[in-house]
Amino acid sequence: MRNEKELLELINVHLEPQAVEIKREQNVSVELAPKNLIQALSFLKSHSYQHLSTISCVDWLEEGAFELVYHLFSYDDYINISLKTRIKREPGIFQTAKEIWPVAEFYERDIHEFFGVEFKGNDNLEEMILENWQHLPPMRKDFDTREFVNDQYEWRDYNGQKHTD
Amino acid sequence: MIDLIYKIGHFLLITVFATALGLLFMGIARKIIARIQKRYGPPVYQPYLDVLKLFGKDAITHGFIFDFGAVMALGGVIATLFFIPLGSWQLYSMEGTVLLVIYLLAVASLGMAMGTVGSGNPQASIGISRALTQMLGYELPFLVILFSLIFRYQTSSIWGLMQAQAGSFLNWNLFAYPMMALVAFVVLIGMMGKKPFDAMIAPSEIGSGPVVESGGKYLGMLLLQKSITIIIELALYVNLFLGGADNIFSFSFKMLIVWILATMFGSLFPRFRIEDGVKFFWKWPLGIAILQALYIII
Amino acid sequence: MNNNFVKGSWQEILDWAQNKSINMLHYCTGCGAIELPPTMTSRYDMSRFGIGPAATPRQADLLLVTGYLSTKTLRRLIYTYEQMQAPKFVVGFGSCTINGGMYWDSYNTIKQLDKYLPVEMYIAGCMPRPEAILDGLLKLKKMINNGEADGYQRYQDNLEFYHQNQEAVLGEVQRTQ
Repeated sequence: MRNEKELLELINVHLEPQAVEIKREQNVSVELAPKNLIQALSFLKSHSYQHLSTISCVDWLEEGAFELVYHLFSYDDYINISLKTRIKREPGIFQTAKEIWPVAEFYERDIHEFFGVEFKGNDNLEEMILENWQHLPPMRKDFDTREFVNDQYEWRDYNGQKHTD
Repeated sequence: MIDLIYKIGHFLLITVFATALGLLFMGIARKIIARIQKRYGPPVYQPYLDVLKLFGKDAITHGFIFDFGAVMALGGVIATLFFIPLGSWQLYSMEGTVLLVIYLLAVASLGMAMGTVGSGNPQASIGISRALTQMLGYELPFLVILFSLIFRYQTSSIWGLMQAQAGSFLNWNLFAYPMMALVAFVVLIGMMGKKPFDAMIAPSEIGSGPVVESGGKYLGMLLLQKSITIIIELALYVNLFLGGADNIFSFSFKMLIVWILATMFGSLFPRFRIEDGVKFFWKWPLGIAILQALYIII
Repeated sequence: MNNNFVKGSWQEILDWAQNKSINMLHYCTGCGAIELPPTMTSRYDMSRFGIGPAATPRQADLLLVTGYLSTKTLRRLIYTYEQMQAPKFVVGFGSCTINGGMYWDSYNTIKQLDKYLPVEMYIAGCMPRPEAILDGLLKLKKMINNGEADGYQRYQDNLEFYHQNQEAVLGEVQRTQ
C-alpha cells in the first residue's frame, strides 16, 4: 500500500518522467517520452498497476501532436495513474501495448478508427463502430463536422427556411 | 352414405365450434391478465380480429417443409378433436382414446418442429427444442396419472372414464382423488404453455420461439391451432376430473372455470428456465402422482 | 354486383380489422424507448385499443422508430422493415427522426427518416409523452381505417428513390430480391 507521494518517488527513480503531478487524492498524472512509455507500462504492471481502464487520445492541432493517455489503476494502492505521452501528428505512429494487456487491442482499434493513429504490432485495426467510413477520421480537429453534414445529408425544408438558419 | 354425411357435418361443426370457443377463451384470458395487472385490457373479441387481420396480410414462405409443418400442426390438432368427447358430442369412442389423444397431440408438436426446420431460424430451433424437452417433463407424471385412472376404472376410453364418474359430483375424480387432480392441473398449465412453463415461447428472450419466422397466414394458422389445442387440453381435463357433462353448455362452462383458474395461476408466476421446469415436473408432480398410483393399486 | 365492388368491400373489411389489431415492433435505438413501458402498462394501457407488442418483424404491422438513427442502425432498420409483411406502417418518434433533433450536426446521424423509409406519420416531441404517443397511434388507426396509410405501396412505387437515398448514406445495402 503506497500513497501518492511514495508512488511518485518510485516513478522518479525508475522511470524518466518529463513531468509528474498529483492532481488530487488518488489521482496522479505522469508525462513520459514516447520511447519510454511501453517500458513504463510493463514496469507499473509488475508494481500492482494491473488494470488498464482505457486508452484515450487528444488531438493537439496547433502543436502537431496526438496525446495518448493510458489510464492505469491499482487494486492495492487505490490510485489512478494517467500516463501521458505525445507523439507527432504526422505520421502518427506508435507502438502497441497488446503484449502487456490483450484488451489494449480494442482501445487501439478505437483510437485508430476515430483519430487515425497507427499502432505498430497491432494487426487488428479494422473498423469497429463506423461503417464504410471513407473520410478523415471524425474525431480529428481538422475534420469539419458541419461541412461534412451539409454535404452528406439534406436538411429538412420548412417553407424555404432551414431549421439550422 | 347418410351416416358419412352426418359424420362430416358433425365434424365440421365440432371444428368450427372448438376454434371459436378457443379464440374466445384466449380473449377472456387477455382480459383477465389485464385486470390482474390493473389494466383495462383489449376487448374479449380481440383474437377474432387478430385472426382476420393475419389472414388478410401478405405472408412469406420458407419452402415446402415450412408450409407442410404449419398444415401438419393444424391438421394434427383437428384430428385429435375426433376422439375427444365435448359434452355429448363424440365422433369416435373406443378403448385407448386417452393414449391416442396424447400421441396425436405430439403430432401437432412435431408439425411445429418441421415448420421450424423449414424456416431455419436458430431461435425457432431453440424454442421447439425447449417445447419438446418440456413435453418430456410433463408427459411422465401425466402418463402415471392416466395409467392409474385406467387401472382404477378398467377402461382406457375417455368416454368410459367420463361415464365412470357419473352420478353425484362426489364421484368426480377431482373429489375422489384430489391430489391427482392437482397434479393434472399443473400438467395442464405446462401443456398449454402458460407461465411459469412458457420458456418455449418467451417473446423477449427468443422472439416467440417456434413461430418466430411465421407471419400473416402462417401465424393465423398457428393461432387457430393454439386455440383448438387449448380446447382439447381443457376438454381432456374436464372429462377426466370434472366428470364431463351431458350437454355442450355445461361442458363449456366447466372448461371456462378451469381456464380462468389456469390463467390466474399463470399470471402470478415468473418464467421457469427450461431445465428447472423439467426438474420441477419430475420432482413434485411425478412424486405425488406415483404416491397416488400406489394408493390406488394397493 | 361487379368484381371491383367485392374487392373494395373486402379491402375495407381488412382495413377495419387491421385498425383494430396492430402489433408493433418498437425499434429501441434512442431514448424514446423509455416512454413505451408506461404506454403499454397499467397507467396508459395501449392494449385497450388493440395495440400490442410484437416479438419479431415477421409478426409486426407497425415499426416504431424511437429516436435518433445512426447510419449503422439505419441499415439494420431497413433490413427489419424489409422483413415485415405488408401491410406495414412506419411511425417516426421524437424530433430526432424528423430533423435530427439534438443530433442535428452529428456526422453519423441521419436527419430525415422519410427519405429512407416511407413514414406514415411523426409523433413530435423530445421525447413525446405517453399521451402524445396514444394520440398519434389513434390517428394512425383512423388513417388505416380510411385506407390512407399506404406507406408500403409508396415504398414499392418509389423503390428507386428510397434505394438511392439509402445507398447514398450507407454505401452498399444487401437486397434479397
